[in-house]
Amino acid sequence: MTPPEPLRLRLGGHLNYFDPHQRAWLQPPLARPVVLRALLETLGVPAGEIALVVINGEQASLDATIAPGDRVELFPPMGGG
Amino acid sequence: MTLLGSHRKILHVDLSASQIWEEMLDPELYRLFPGGKALAAYLLLRDLPPHALQPDADPLGPENVLVLAAGLLTGAPVATATRFTAAARSPLTGGIGLSEAGGFWGPELKLAGYEAIEITGRAPHPVYLALIGDRPALRDARGLWGREPEFVQAQIRRELGDERARVLQTGVAGENLVRFAALTHEMRHYNGRTGIGAVMGSKNLKACAVRSAGGRYASLAADPAALAEIGKRLSKEATTHPLSRDLHDKGTISLLAGFNAAGMLPTRNFRQGRFEGAEQVDHTAVQGAILAEPHSCYACAVRCKPAYRADQPYGLDPQVGGPEYEGQAGFSSDCGVSDLGAMAKANELCNRFVLDTISAAGTIAFAMECFENGLLGPEDTGGLDLRFGNAGAMLQMIEWIARCQGIGDLLAEGSRRAAQKIGGGALAYALQVKGQELPMHEARGKVGVGLGYAVSETGADHLVSIHDTMLQNPESIPFKGAQALGIRDALPARQLDAAKAANYFLCENWVSAGNTLGLCYFGPAPRSFIQPVDVIAAVQAASGWDVDLAELLDIGERATNLARLFNARVGLSRADDDLPARLFQPLENGALAGVSYPRPEFEAALTELYRLKGWDVQTGHPTPEQLDALGVGFLKEWLP
Repeated sequence: MTPPEPLRLRLGGHLNYFDPHQRAWLQPPLARPVVLRALLETLGVPAGEIALVVINGEQASLDATIAPGDRVELFPPMGGG
Repeated sequence: MTLLGSHRKILHVDLSASQIWEEMLDPELYRLFPGGKALAAYLLLRDLPPHALQPDADPLGPENVLVLAAGLLTGAPVATATRFTAAARSPLTGGIGLSEAGGFWGPELKLAGYEAIEITGRAPHPVYLALIGDRPALRDARGLWGREPEFVQAQIRRELGDERARVLQTGVAGENLVRFAALTHEMRHYNGRTGIGAVMGSKNLKACAVRSAGGRYASLAADPAALAEIGKRLSKEATTHPLSRDLHDKGTISLLAGFNAAGMLPTRNFRQGRFEGAEQVDHTAVQGAILAEPHSCYACAVRCKPAYRADQPYGLDPQVGGPEYEGQAGFSSDCGVSDLGAMAKANELCNRFVLDTISAAGTIAFAMECFENGLLGPEDTGGLDLRFGNAGAMLQMIEWIARCQGIGDLLAEGSRRAAQKIGGGALAYALQVKGQELPMHEARGKVGVGLGYAVSETGADHLVSIHDTMLQNPESIPFKGAQALGIRDALPARQLDAAKAANYFLCENWVSAGNTLGLCYFGPAPRSFIQPVDVIAAVQAASGWDVDLAELLDIGERATNLARLFNARVGLSRADDDLPARLFQPLENGALAGVSYPRPEFEAALTELYRLKGWDVQTGHPTPEQLDALGVGFLKEWLP
């Protein structure tokens, strides 16, 4: 049996500063589906900084359930530039 | 009255008469208009002759006035206090042209002892202004005309015997009177918008070189020790605060991926909000392939200016700055191009010819849509297949625009004028307001940005208030910064009503104050890291004024009223505060597929905004009562 695809988690904008290693892309170990908000709590990424959640290319919420193999992208409030 | 934070001196240059003189500003006027946007707008209103304000007067005629104005804080040892305003009647919009840049030129002007330079007339042959210490002179620039900015800068420095002279110049595009030509200094700092480069070119003025005689801002400041202390602390915060640190580490190009995911990345001339090639041009791709090093502006620890290097196939020169987000999105998604090298090369070409990247990209995307719909054909484009996605054609267009060759001569007029000449419904493809092309921000996803596009006195501009997306989450860092300004309600980005108009208005006054004081958009909260209390403290330490938040907001509001008064005088009114028709149509793809900008809510919000501003809701003009309330009742005689 092949191991499941890892979860791929993007911390866009300044969100990667909440990761101790400041990575833009993480692959947190995930054995079974979990609510995104709960995962972020364990990772130390504050929900209050997240303006946009995209799961597998579709907009979603922090209360969505994510599973191994998903591609999850998180972005903070984005302004002019 | 002692006046600190300012020399009060304005240098006047009459190019027609080859005369130079100085004016001392009245101290009370300076407190009303403490530099930058406010001072520039005041000088234009005061000094443009009435015939140059007629609706059909040519902004590229000798009677136009060009103002280069530093702000109260420009050159202070405070991060992001680097900006200066270039202003004139805009050849692109016919209204007021205002364009800020950071870098080093504004601080050098201030430390040389001047608040502003005001230039009138037209020289009989190309000249440049040399302001070394307090000795201004006009010098022959015939050998510099038509040359690239690196050559011009090096040659002027050699002639002046000063390798540190700061050289602000127009480029080949400005010499050729391209209506969206820019100004540059150091080849990485640009007064990009509203066509000020063409105004400088029309005056046969190639450059303004400035060098202070070792002046220091501390000698101007009321409390230099306090100012230094504020500056020291802010420099540390610039690299640790999440918002400015993100700009420091990644520059503005990190925005593209998020906008694409949110369905708000302008794609194929704003038809779409999601670009399938985004990952090939986003900041991860850029950093992996072509990033050379970040650069900075004067005394700014944010260091958000990237430089790029690549050998093949396009050969990118790290001497020339960019791309930043606007050029990145404009020359990729908006033109349908997913070739990273071509995108960066397009930006570099604009920088070499000294063109505004936003208007250049927007005008080329307009031409691509005209081509795809048969309004332009190969016979018009010199045989080029000018479709979305054709990177080679995009690059060729930039050079032809700058040199006014072939179809470039038509596109050099900007998308609105080009559409009027092409006819056949081409105006529907011109994504512009008041003639100025839209920046790369999707107003259908952040409606307050659309309100700003519409009301901005300079035409479509994304840096006139704070984007809705920053103020929708009450727990977020930017919203907490906004609360200190008096913002009470966090509002969804697509909510368009009286509450949104009120948030827009307050933030517009704050941003306008920054453009007057000489602060970068990436300095103050809520966009970035400098809290309002620190801005107030810096102004107090610089000027000695007992200034508070209310006065700073008044300064910003007053500056906008001056700009609006200018536009009223040249015949612009509420009818010009509109959005391109496309924004009222649904986006074709992405997370906001099917979403359009709501027309009835737009009209209601515009009326509410005028009411908040104290303007006539029929004409959009300032009222006499409002000018009185802002302490500038003496300008009432200029109302139409």
